[in-house]
Amino acid sequence: MTRLVAAAVAALACAGVAHAGVAHAAQRIALPSPIAPLSAEPPLSGGARRSAENVAHSVSATTSVAVAIDRVGTPFAVTATQRLDVRGIGDYFFTIGAPVLAVQAPRDSTAVPGMRTGSIIWAGFNPGERLLVARATLEPAKAVPALPLTIRVSGDAITLENTTTVTVPTFTADAPRPPLIAYLSLLRGEVQDGRTPLQTTVPIASTPTDVHMTVTAPLHVTGTIGARHVDLVLASRAEIRGRGRIDLHAEPVEHVGSVTPAGGRALLREAIQATLMLARANQYEQFLGNPDPAGASRTVYAYRTASPPHAAPIASVGRRRRTWVETALVVAALAAALAAGAAVWSRS
Amino acid sequence: MTRRIALLALVVTLLTACGGGTHDATKHLLIVVNAPFSNTPYLGHAIENGARLAAGQVNTIGVRVGNDRYLLTVRTMDTGLSPARAVANVRRAVSDGAIAMVDEGTGVDASWRIAARRGVPIGIVFAGGQSLVDAATRPNVFRIAPTDHGIAFRLAEYLIPKHLKVALLHDDSDYGTAGSEELKRAFSGDRGSVAIDETLPADALDLSPQILRARRAHATALVVWGRPATIASAITAARSSGWGVPFYTPPTGADPFVRQQLADHPAWLDGLTFAAGRLTAEVGGQPFAGFAQHYVAAYGVDHVGVHTSAGAAVSEPPETPMYAYDFVNLVAAALTKAGSTDPAKITKGLEDVIVKGANGDERAFNHSSHEGVVDDDVYFARFHDMTYAPVKDDPLSATLPAISQTQ
Repeated sequence: MTRLVAAAVAALACAGVAHAGVAHAAQRIALPSPIAPLSAEPPLSGGARRSAENVAHSVSATTSVAVAIDRVGTPFAVTATQRLDVRGIGDYFFTIGAPVLAVQAPRDSTAVPGMRTGSIIWAGFNPGERLLVARATLEPAKAVPALPLTIRVSGDAITLENTTTVTVPTFTADAPRPPLIAYLSLLRGEVQDGRTPLQTTVPIASTPTDVHMTVTAPLHVTGTIGARHVDLVLASRAEIRGRGRIDLHAEPVEHVGSVTPAGGRALLREAIQATLMLARANQYEQFLGNPDPAGASRTVYAYRTASPPHAAPIASVGRRRRTWVETALVVAALAAALAAGAAVWSRS
Repeated sequence: MTRRIALLALVVTLLTACGGGTHDATKHLLIVVNAPFSNTPYLGHAIENGARLAAGQVNTIGVRVGNDRYLLTVRTMDTGLSPARAVANVRRAVSDGAIAMVDEGTGVDASWRIAARRGVPIGIVFAGGQSLVDAATRPNVFRIAPTDHGIAFRLAEYLIPKHLKVALLHDDSDYGTAGSEELKRAFSGDRGSVAIDETLPADALDLSPQILRARRAHATALVVWGRPATIASAITAARSSGWGVPFYTPPTGADPFVRQQLADHPAWLDGLTFAAGRLTAEVGGQPFAGFAQHYVAAYGVDHVGVHTSAGAAVSEPPETPMYAYDFVNLVAAALTKAGSTDPAKITKGLEDVIVKGANGDERAFNHSSHEGVVDDDVYFARFHDMTYAPVKDDPLSATLPAISQTQ
């Protein structure tokens, strides 16, 4: 899957540049998609999909990811609870990709999820509305690398690091300001209204050139460290002084900033940056994916200090050792049996 | 002595040559159908025919495992509805090297352990008792049939909004008792809708006293959970006393035996509504019709033995055969996935394979559930003129087409 997404990203980049190659003549170029993923994960394990049915259900996905961390901040357990609000009469068959170790349905789920290697399964008939809730225990080694935040505790210094940063290929060019201003305003409105932002093309005034851009989805981090309250937007890294139990929530921030007075080339860069940041934030909103590609998705990541389970000590089983007399008897018996067998064989 | 050693060396050399890595061979794998052929022959043969139809189709190309090609052989064993006999059958099947059992369900509470010792999967295709299947504690037991739990909860979901006073009647067979437990649970959220809870003797010829008690409890609907004979007797008792109360039943209400018993009074059956696993998928009735055609071509029409008012002979759609057919196809798919004929590996593979079921739906189990029919797939059908059609006042049933049942 990683290779697939990498290939897709590379293809998009190539397509973008190839497009850019002819774009100058055509005077328009496509900006990056504000919803396309920028890396293989999240969503985990290829994301969610639905099998072909007659009814395209409308699905809103809300996911709570609980990350248990030890006293130095290392995650040792990850549980994801996903709630799918499914609308539309008809059969459904959803496959939610995840490195799942176990899955169960909380009491408020109207159906029970199934589990296969690497996925959660939902199948049934929806009479109109169904709330499908799955609480999945995930394999930490595979889920942790897709988390958006790391926490390191050293004495009373707690370092929070945003791990959503990714570098992607894109382009730069001269461009007139008004269309960019209009698009950024439109984008801001769509994000504020909770609508899925749309990709667009803009006019350019010079031949585009390849560049790489580093993109990070800002995280709104709230909660407590001991008695200290935390409420900050984390773009890269922050160090907080405090001691005690950590209980923090992180949510990707989907936001489009105000238009700056920058020139056309710089403003194009800002527009590209804005769309890529939205794409990255949107990616982390879909930790477990959504079987409805047009459906709304939201994910909250909760990090809490907990005690890692200790492996039970292996009970020592007393083994009685054979005495030399017993050993000698066993050897003698084996030798006698061998001799008797040889005698029988030679006379047969 | 020297000659003997030389001879031995020659034999060993020949045997080694015979086991060459590229040699293709066709071998047979045994699937046993464990069903009540003597007591309820319709059910037994329905299961057998479904399993044989699937095996025959698999055998047209066979299953390739390594360098060998395998054909499936189906053998039947009669349980006579006796758990002891069912267990003995499983013991014999396992010792004969069966790779899978297709089972009606009788005796599985005991037989699953015997099969589990060699990892042999058991596929239940009729009994719906909740405790029969548990992926965690009975890892080798699977089911493709509606569960009692699903049937009971769908009945409650369907009946409670109708504001009926329901009499919950069940017979004292294992089937009736298990269903009664699920009905109690399903109606526990609205006990006010239950007029009376009554046990019926499964072997009684006349159920008039019990039906009269339900009438005196002011029941406005009867849910009868029992064997086909119990359902027929209950209907006879009610209708012969002039009581036109509506009847609701589990899938046994559609058993040909009920219609045969009521053949002299076809109108008595009109309005009987039963819950069962849907026969058609959302894609429509075409896949099931195709399966039914193959089934009829191979085994002929399952005649119910009654006629419509227009004189058309009524036939039974191959529902139970469909479940046995799907299970054998899943076993074949698991065999391929496992790349081994070891029953334990086939059992494990059954959790990860998907096949296109006879009704067009995807049929599969998974790691946490060994149920091949989900509760959502329970629909309701109502009898009229000796045939039935999906009801229109239930969201799922309203989307389903009627299946042709006349020749």
